[in-house]
Amino acid sequence: MKRSVLALLSIGLALAASSCGKPAAKPAETSNLPTVRLLTDATGIDDKSFNAAAWRGILEFYGDSWENQAKKGKSYDVVTAQTQDMYVPNLKQASDEKYDLIVVTGFTWADALNEVAKQYPNQKYMIVDVDWVPNPNVMQVTFSEHEGSYLVGVAAALKAKADGIKDPKFGFIGGIPDPVITKFEVGYIQGIKSILPEAKIVDYYANDWGKPELAKAQAKNWYDSGVYAIFSAAGGTGNGTIAQAKEYRSQGKNVWAIGVDSDQFADGVYAEGKSAVLTSMLKRVETASKYALEAVKNKAFKAEVVVLDTKSEGVGFSDKNPELGADIVAQVNAAKDKIVKGEIKVVPTYAEAKALPGFPQNLQASDKQ
Amino acid sequence: MASDTTGKPQPATLRVGALDAFIASDGAISLLVVLLGFLCGTVLILAVGRNPANMYAALLQTLTGFDITRGTWNARYIGEWLTASMPLILCGLSMGFAARTGLFNIGAEGQYVMGLTAAQFVALYGPRISGLHWALALLAGLVAGALWGALVGWLKARYSVSEVVATIMLNYVAYFLSRFLTQLIPAANTYRTPAYPETALLKNALFERLTNGSRLNTGLFVVALCVLFYWFVIERTKLGYELRATGFNKEAARCSGIKVTRSITASMAISGGFAGLAGVIVALGSFGYGRVLGGLDNYGFNGIAVALVGNSTAGGTLLSGLLFGMLASAQPLMQSRQIPKEVTWIISGLVVVFISLRAGFRMIAEWRQKRIAEKGGTRDE
Repeated sequence: MKRSVLALLSIGLALAASSCGKPAAKPAETSNLPTVRLLTDATGIDDKSFNAAAWRGILEFYGDSWENQAKKGKSYDVVTAQTQDMYVPNLKQASDEKYDLIVVTGFTWADALNEVAKQYPNQKYMIVDVDWVPNPNVMQVTFSEHEGSYLVGVAAALKAKADGIKDPKFGFIGGIPDPVITKFEVGYIQGIKSILPEAKIVDYYANDWGKPELAKAQAKNWYDSGVYAIFSAAGGTGNGTIAQAKEYRSQGKNVWAIGVDSDQFADGVYAEGKSAVLTSMLKRVETASKYALEAVKNKAFKAEVVVLDTKSEGVGFSDKNPELGADIVAQVNAAKDKIVKGEIKVVPTYAEAKALPGFPQNLQASDKQ
Repeated sequence: MASDTTGKPQPATLRVGALDAFIASDGAISLLVVLLGFLCGTVLILAVGRNPANMYAALLQTLTGFDITRGTWNARYIGEWLTASMPLILCGLSMGFAARTGLFNIGAEGQYVMGLTAAQFVALYGPRISGLHWALALLAGLVAGALWGALVGWLKARYSVSEVVATIMLNYVAYFLSRFLTQLIPAANTYRTPAYPETALLKNALFERLTNGSRLNTGLFVVALCVLFYWFVIERTKLGYELRATGFNKEAARCSGIKVTRSITASMAISGGFAGLAGVIVALGSFGYGRVLGGLDNYGFNGIAVALVGNSTAGGTLLSGLLFGMLASAQPLMQSRQIPKEVTWIISGLVVVFISLRAGFRMIAEWRQKRIAEKGGTRDE
């Protein structure tokens, strides 16, 4: 017994010793490209949504891909915070490690960034989805989510019409209510109402970005009560909607999930070439990462508020699902052109939307920051 | 076995070998278990083709502030390590205190949330007198956590409600109650309240200066006092003796004149108080505004592991809290060196699993005793 313990320990020590000699990796410049650190909340880059998109933008900028992250650890990397109280230390750590750019995603980072950015005036930061932390070294990027959501609303309503659904209902599942998620919800509903003015709308907020089980239970409930399509803007929580839609579609029920941020077609695949994700509202957070990195590379980084809309390809919809059909795709693209030209105006707040004729008055959406 | 009845241990069994001494020492076993955890972590990192030296470099930076890769030194990392350890130590004490008195408190998370919530309210609405304001917030958090714990203790003592089930359920009640109450604050939105006044913060200028601007705060004194209080109450007071006696055998305690209902309630209250204080320290030490919780912070749950590894003693819990705090605050430093973040969870998970070795070693010890007794105590090892 004694001997085996000793043997085990000596193996461990030998392993540790043998590995100590090698130099550790560090983010040294391998080319003239800038270095970047992505900081995420607890859900990390595997959320198949928001963080994933920011990460993909970084990968694309360096010519890497999800499968081949060759320059990770040299030009770019990511640090995930387990709890909210790690936001400030993680930001300071990244600033100490002297990256050319530090990217954070989501409004939960706003306060931490506002605090740290002042202490490191020479460090460049970019934050997505926030426009209220004005600092001379922070670039803030926001999106016209209401426009992209309008397009998926149009697509879902057209599909319901084409399928001849009588009295179709549409659902929306949000993460935590705030003005950004409200843009998704009211844009989506405006899109539906532009095709089916009488359509009934239901909404639900999980109050959590990482609880797919809540969305799954709600989705089951709604699908059972005749809801045709559900759009989730809830981070990892929304994966529960897709899981439920997959389950029901593989049983032959005609219900749909609508993806968010990234194209979630692949997540909804339940049989060869068949996906329960009808379309996805594309919020190209990758555009934001690439925009900021380009700016740093060209020494054009400014502390500005950048709004990425339909026109700048910051938002859009996915036409990957073949069941959408060429006809519907063409009609949604027509709506898209009208938005770009300004012929259709989608309003971003619940207060404005409430004033529209026939708009639901009892949603849980909130304009309160 | 017949040998059991052959009499008292022979003189030979008194020859305690190194192994016996080792088995007899819970501290040594805990140390071995931690080393084993790190050994497995090292092998795992090698298996995924990364360099384990990077993990040790990250741990070194956490403990000393020295960044061996860049050759820089920054005391802030030490401060952040201690900051991360504080709530873990307190939640470990919470779990440990209940365990020592025969209760299984899975509710430290809920008690933590109640403490945090109470502190946030006092921070926003309390009297803005420096020195008094944060002290009141600490007191409020202590009381809130204690009441949340005492409720479970009372239910258990009076109505035999299982404290395991009750505490788990109350975690969620606490979480949603906190969200609901905090959102009632005017000008609070869906994720934060307005900023606290300066007088509510646990900021400590000296600590900040010493640790180059980390968030290390006055909470450190609270943690130190709590560790001393824990040791003193458990080991040195009549109350501690009564509580432990109730834990060993409720009926025997009742027969010997201990008020069992009061005892169990008091146990859970003290246990909850520790967790409540952890909530205050995070709320007023690491944040400058109140949070509408968007998820559980998990300090309470991690406290279970802290207490297990620390063997529910005051000193052990302090050390194991520092260990888990080190793993938590080394995690981003590891990620920065391309060590997968999951490694720290695997190590802490393995440490908890290996702790069961303690029972295994005791079995070995008993078996050896028995064998020596069988041989009539004549044979050496």
